[in-house]
Amino acid sequence: MIYYTILFYVFAVLAVATAFYVVFAKNVIHSAFALFGTLFAVAGLFVLLNADFIAITQIMVYVGGILVLMIFGVMLTTKIADIDIHTKNLNRIPAILFSTGITVILIFILFTTKWNIKPQVQNQETVSQIGKLMLTTYLLPFEIASIVLLVALVGSAMYARKTK
Amino acid sequence: MLESYIPIMLVLSFALIFAVVMINLSSLLGPSKPDKEKLSTYESGMEPIGTARERFSVKYYMVAVSFILFDLEVVFLYPWAISFINFPKAEMVYSLIVALIFIFILFVGLIYEYKKGVLKWD
Amino acid sequence: MEQTIISLKNFIPECVLIVTILVCLLADLIVRKKSAVVAVIGIAGLFVSGWFVIGQFGVKESVFFGMVVIDPYSVFFKLLFIVSTVFIILFSLASKEIKDSTHTNEHVYLMISLTLGANLMASSVNMLMMYLALETVSITSYVLAGYMKKSKRSSEAAMKYVIYGAASSGIMIYAMSLLYGYTGSMNIFEISSILSKMGGTNPMLVIVMVMILAGFGYKISSVPFHFWTPDVYEGAPIPVTGFLAVTSSAAGFAVLIRFFSVTFLKSTTMLNGSLQIIDGIRWTEIIIVLSVASMIIGNFVAVWQMSFKRLLAYSSIAQGGYIMLGLVVANQQGLTAIFVYLVAYMIMNLGAFYALIMISNKLNSDDINDMKGFAYRAPAVAVGMGIFMFALSGIPATVGFVGKFYLFSALIESNMIWLALVGMMNSVVSLFFYIKVLKYMFLSKPDEENSGKIYYGIAGYVLLFILVIPTLLLGIYFGPIVRFAEMSAVMFGLK
Repeated sequence: MIYYTILFYVFAVLAVATAFYVVFAKNVIHSAFALFGTLFAVAGLFVLLNADFIAITQIMVYVGGILVLMIFGVMLTTKIADIDIHTKNLNRIPAILFSTGITVILIFILFTTKWNIKPQVQNQETVSQIGKLMLTTYLLPFEIASIVLLVALVGSAMYARKTK
Repeated sequence: MLESYIPIMLVLSFALIFAVVMINLSSLLGPSKPDKEKLSTYESGMEPIGTARERFSVKYYMVAVSFILFDLEVVFLYPWAISFINFPKAEMVYSLIVALIFIFILFVGLIYEYKKGVLKWD
Repeated sequence: MEQTIISLKNFIPECVLIVTILVCLLADLIVRKKSAVVAVIGIAGLFVSGWFVIGQFGVKESVFFGMVVIDPYSVFFKLLFIVSTVFIILFSLASKEIKDSTHTNEHVYLMISLTLGANLMASSVNMLMMYLALETVSITSYVLAGYMKKSKRSSEAAMKYVIYGAASSGIMIYAMSLLYGYTGSMNIFEISSILSKMGGTNPMLVIVMVMILAGFGYKISSVPFHFWTPDVYEGAPIPVTGFLAVTSSAAGFAVLIRFFSVTFLKSTTMLNGSLQIIDGIRWTEIIIVLSVASMIIGNFVAVWQMSFKRLLAYSSIAQGGYIMLGLVVANQQGLTAIFVYLVAYMIMNLGAFYALIMISNKLNSDDINDMKGFAYRAPAVAVGMGIFMFALSGIPATVGFVGKFYLFSALIESNMIWLALVGMMNSVVSLFFYIKVLKYMFLSKPDEENSGKIYYGIAGYVLLFILVIPTLLLGIYFGPIVRFAEMSAVMFGLK
């Protein structure tokens, strides 16, 4: 289990470090590429949590789709490489205080709460179990998800379509 | 469970190490005598025209959006397809209908895109 | 499979809505231009769905494996959403902004999708379903807010809405994950029974409540999650603004009230009609803070607004504050008062937005300065607007007064007199800016260059009249809505 812990910390550090780079990079394209590392490391964390399907979804949808979309979005914009995307002196100190406060509170409740920890089971693959749940308990969310996707499709087509 | 990921880890780490080592090795071992011609952009011998930061057409964006949405459809259908075989015979039709409704709703979206000329590339 | 078929019987209204969305979409693709046909199909579908919803009155059942419930509470909200959507679709036929947009009829089925999401928000009892329904409503409203593609303000509105929405729903789902990690369940009834065993002394629960309020509070535009409201209201086309003010925020209330009334109970049996909240969990106090802040900021900032849409935005922030007052008392009477208020809120807000559509169709502006002397140019519309403004401020003999009366009396009966006083003082402040609009319309002379009479088609006056009648009639003869509210104030799982 020592390997497990080592791997966890490798992925965790990778995720946090690249996330920092996403936020602090001067160039927006660098941010987009650093996001690749974050999403990938999070997929690794999902694997460690025995959530193989979520991990694959993470890579397929986020790394394979949303990241590409973001890079397209960057490339669609004129002169984005030249724009300084950092907003200046906008309540920097209150923002720092606020976010530090929230971090402290969250860490505090993370350690003081008695979480409902399920006994660790050696899981087999989760995909078919998810499939079964989708047809029983989560049937309604499954079908409503298609409506959400339809609305997103119509909306994106409405916005991005070239109008004569 | 996690053992089955060892090959993936090996491939990933090999790819990473290989890339890092090769790039650094070539810059380390190769001779470096830069001049103006060598540093200029190589475009099959032509003089470079315009900037490299050219704007993309919005059409690419639409393709990417459609890709994500249908990618998500696949993600939703994949577990259904895996568990389909495990269903009792009596419920197979039911589960097929459930998935067909899902597909149909998104198919209407595809018709919308097609009819509105979103996928047209002229 | 058997349960799905049984569930479907109780799910006909939503199924009808889904079919309506698809049929409208296909019809839109066939007609390929702006046409009333799609709107008519949409309204017909809404009527059919509404008819099935009425048939559900009195049913108390949990369907789809504990995802959603059918109870008088959800039926009330579904009817409210369907009625307001019918009106909004009619408004959008009249609106010049929608007519001038580059799209064909997308707004009709987007609005129906929003109604579907709102219906699910009102009936879901599972955190996953709540989130999904909320996202359905959110995504649709982002698209609708940016409906006028050519207008920069509209695009800005959509952009701001997306960013605020993404941030607040992210905070909310994080809190839900904390709650799930603590209790191991996503069903709010199960969470309630687990929490009642554990007790409420955990500081985590306070954080969870505040963070979940960020998501729901954003939908109802309560202070301090209200920053998007004025900009989005100003940028979006007026029918969409009206839709956001009525349906979207009422849906936010539906899910907020159910979540807070059910999740933190030590027993689902009511004690003399009031909820038995776990000792140590003080969500009512958090709600009091939000409610008072919303009323004060909404009403006081509205005083300075010169854009009518921004004024209505701040007015709806304040109205949200009043509605939350009914939640504070946490009993049957408070819920009844909320329902009475919501009916009143729907009628008078729809009226105000319709009158604004009529005005801005002709003036091409929503600046109050441009409405100088409007009463001389189109007296009927100005009088209509006057009635809605009086109703919004809660003058007696209008439906707005009935709503406020029931809210304040619910507060006084549970000994929260100071809150009732704060509410009343705020009503006095609100009177000031509602009357300001009328002052410009009735007491100022129109500018020389545009003082000609303005005429509307007969349909426009009829629709205005249909909205004026209940505003006045229900203000005097309010027995029916009160009885309806009393019947509806019954939630699944609470005895």
